Amino acid sequence: MADHNDPNAVNSIFSDIDVSAADLYDLFGFPSDDKDGGEKVVIALTFASIPQAGVFDTDMLYRILISPDPRVVRPSQEDHSLKGLLRYFDAVKERYLGPSKAAEIRVTVDQSQRATVKFIGFPGGGFQTQIPLNQSHQVSSPDGHRIKAYLGGRDDAFFNDLTGFFRSINYAPQFYHVPHTMASARELEIPKTLLQLEGNHLFNRDPNDPEWGYHGKKRDLPPGPLTWSGDRFMKNENGKYVFVYDGRDCQAGININAIILEIPLAFLTKNPERDRIVNCWGESWVLKAADKVETIPDHPFWLENPLSLLDAFRLDDELKKYKLVDTDGQPFADAGLSEREDNRQLGANNFFLAPTFVKRLAHLGWGFGPSITAMGLQTTFDHDNSPVSVHRKYHTAVAAFPRAKKTLFQELRMPDDSWNPKGLDIPLRRSFEIFVPNVCAIDMDTTGTWPYGRRPEDQVATRFLSLFLDMEAEFNGRKYHIDLLADPELWAVAPVEPATPPNPLKNDKEFLKEFPYLAEPW
Amino acid sequence: MQTQTDFEKELARLDEQLSGLGPAALAEPLDTLKATEYVYRLYQRASLTGNMRQLEEAGAAIDGLLGRVPNPSDLYYLKASLDFKFHRLPEVKRSLADSPALRESPQGRTLAADLDFQEGRYREARAAYESLVREQGGWDDIARLAHLEFKMGDADAADRLYGEAEDELTAKQMRHYAWVELQRGVLDLKRGRREEARAHYERAGRAYSGYWMVEEHTAELLGAAGEYDAAAELYHKVLATAPRPEFMQALGELYDTAGDKGRAEEWYGRALAAYLESAGRGEVCYYHHLVDFYADVRRDGAEAVRWAEKDLGLRENFSTQSALAWALYRAGRFTEARAWIERALSSGARDSHLFSQAAAIYRRAGGNGEVEKFERMASEINPHRGGFHVHR
Repeated sequence: MADHNDPNAVNSIFSDIDVSAADLYDLFGFPSDDKDGGEKVVIALTFASIPQAGVFDTDMLYRILISPDPRVVRPSQEDHSLKGLLRYFDAVKERYLGPSKAAEIRVTVDQSQRATVKFIGFPGGGFQTQIPLNQSHQVSSPDGHRIKAYLGGRDDAFFNDLTGFFRSINYAPQFYHVPHTMASARELEIPKTLLQLEGNHLFNRDPNDPEWGYHGKKRDLPPGPLTWSGDRFMKNENGKYVFVYDGRDCQAGININAIILEIPLAFLTKNPERDRIVNCWGESWVLKAADKVETIPDHPFWLENPLSLLDAFRLDDELKKYKLVDTDGQPFADAGLSEREDNRQLGANNFFLAPTFVKRLAHLGWGFGPSITAMGLQTTFDHDNSPVSVHRKYHTAVAAFPRAKKTLFQELRMPDDSWNPKGLDIPLRRSFEIFVPNVCAIDMDTTGTWPYGRRPEDQVATRFLSLFLDMEAEFNGRKYHIDLLADPELWAVAPVEPATPPNPLKNDKEFLKEFPYLAEPW
Repeated sequence: MQTQTDFEKELARLDEQLSGLGPAALAEPLDTLKATEYVYRLYQRASLTGNMRQLEEAGAAIDGLLGRVPNPSDLYYLKASLDFKFHRLPEVKRSLADSPALRESPQGRTLAADLDFQEGRYREARAAYESLVREQGGWDDIARLAHLEFKMGDADAADRLYGEAEDELTAKQMRHYAWVELQRGVLDLKRGRREEARAHYERAGRAYSGYWMVEEHTAELLGAAGEYDAAAELYHKVLATAPRPEFMQALGELYDTAGDKGRAEEWYGRALAAYLESAGRGEVCYYHHLVDFYADVRRDGAEAVRWAEKDLGLRENFSTQSALAWALYRAGRFTEARAWIERALSSGARDSHLFSQAAAIYRRAGGNGEVEKFERMASEINPHRGGFHVHR
């Protein structure tokens, strides 16, 4: 009896897969301008271009799940308590986990790079088709609906200063070589902030090394302490605060792979007049090893693990051969609100994270709230007039809720009325409605601009920050709105340098006016 | 044109990565990421080929880098993993002590649990593995728990856990899947289920082709089934890739079982020379094999006891306890042998080989009804025991 039978013998020390085709990037969804033959919705799921743009990984399965529903009518009297909030999540949960199972579009690609696209659970029945990659196709359903499909490589439609965002949350792996065995040294215990903190040498921009944190340029993590002990925001030689962002587009010149569909609403629901909200989210699944060798072993584990048992009944035979890796519904739902933990990849079923969402929002609020105040703006977050950002974590939603209450419940004002071209009585959305469940809820009576869906041209990274602005306050005689932080007039007067919106205002490549909308790959 | 096996492809990819980085990766000014990747690839390549000399070289490269990087917790992890392969448990402990970051990480907790297992603290090991599985759900910790169940005699639970570990593995981890399949095959073989073992080994070979580890397990299976020529051919093939002394001994035992004493002696000689050379270099990883070699091949009880005591001094667990018991038995020191086998049995371990040894010891040392009991228990676990087998 020697002792070489432990898994170390198989050499599994660190993951060798740095970037995976399972890494979902964005989900876009909006009503198509093309009304010919009826209303249509555009849904685009983007993911890492592995092995390369225009070539799909044949071990992957991608799903786009779709659940059309009526728009929820908001009661005249609402309960703005934590109990009321949790009751709301419970009620919505029934819609997603109850009998009204979402329909789905499922994509796999074979060795010849031909895609099999399956339409499952739609009112007119399911069907499947095969199409080559990197071309636009028109697919006809058995009941005569025409669906446009493009699967292949495109330009990355996301445009943002990702490094700036990671600087704002003190996310070390963007700036440092963080060892695999130091997982706790990723999001460091330094206040989140929109303004550089005086003495925060770990994350403040280095004038002598302006590219640090960009294009993979990293440093060795210093020995510590990996904390900050200052008490004020930094000011530069001009007496201005220093913005953590500089507005550059970190996704410029980068390609992605994408599944882009334009689908008649009448194919998605039997009642397009009633079901005005198209809820959708994406998932990536990777083939299990057992099925790669085309031998399906017994899975007694499923009989012992209730959650897996649930899956065993819910999943069909094809899906049982795959393992869920990533989900995508709302931008920043994972990165901003779930601390990027892999075991929180729940997609629409993220209800049990509702208390976490409240705690995390309060945690972010203690960082961003004082930054917003220092810039001379009004925030919804109750930070006790703290002169500087604070690192505070909450163990319970009960403790966090009073701080974040207004941030959770305030209506997010739109910059103008163009989002609601029909002038309907559509309530403004609120942050708790946007992020739980983690779906892209496309309102077919709007333009589909975020948060009523997501259009490629939406600057969602900047809009995400606006959750913490007090929409009752005014700037230049106008109420705050979700694009205020993208307004150059604001930065012209804000005591901040660089005097720039946090993120670029447009993509590095023009979007197309017609299908498949996302720009050609580089 | 002959297509490359999965093993050859992975080896070629590692060689490409290593030559891309080059030894310059360790030169000043040091790029921590490149340097760490370089020594990791060295370690990975040596592990893949099973070449202990290359592993030592990888270890030396890791040691040389340790004082030069600011956050060496990953290097300590590599070093500790490598030390485990060489049974250098005090070194593993030192790495954990020297790197608080490693100690507190899930990887460090797994290493500590492995130490518990190796040092006979089975309850602590089980609790730690179960906790890691709950928190992390990683296939490797599930497999560790399976291994513990196997050693404690619950083969069904072990197989179920290995199945669970497989369910965590994806198409991107086929070598790992093949390894788990091999463990499931070993479970079957230890219970005399040769056909089931063969099916697992074949699946492992399909999952990851050209792997010497699959061939080595298959060679044992063929030997157990009396297919000596085919088994010998495979052992020779394995030795061409991984010239390790335990495989030389296995080939010797195979020839011995087949009645070819001349060839058996030739391979025994090579194995012993390599074991002793390793021990002469100060390595401890073959102590256990030396005990086994002197006890069962040479039947030299005194030498077997000498190596068994050295091994026991490094790590006291049911495996080293029973090895000492068996060495004492060979030396004719039956009363002491009984005391040590009873210590091994008190661990709760259940294994047909262990029970067979216990029966033999009780036969000479005395024990009311114990001989029949342990022979029956050994037979219940593996009705085919006694033929050609490898001590894993």
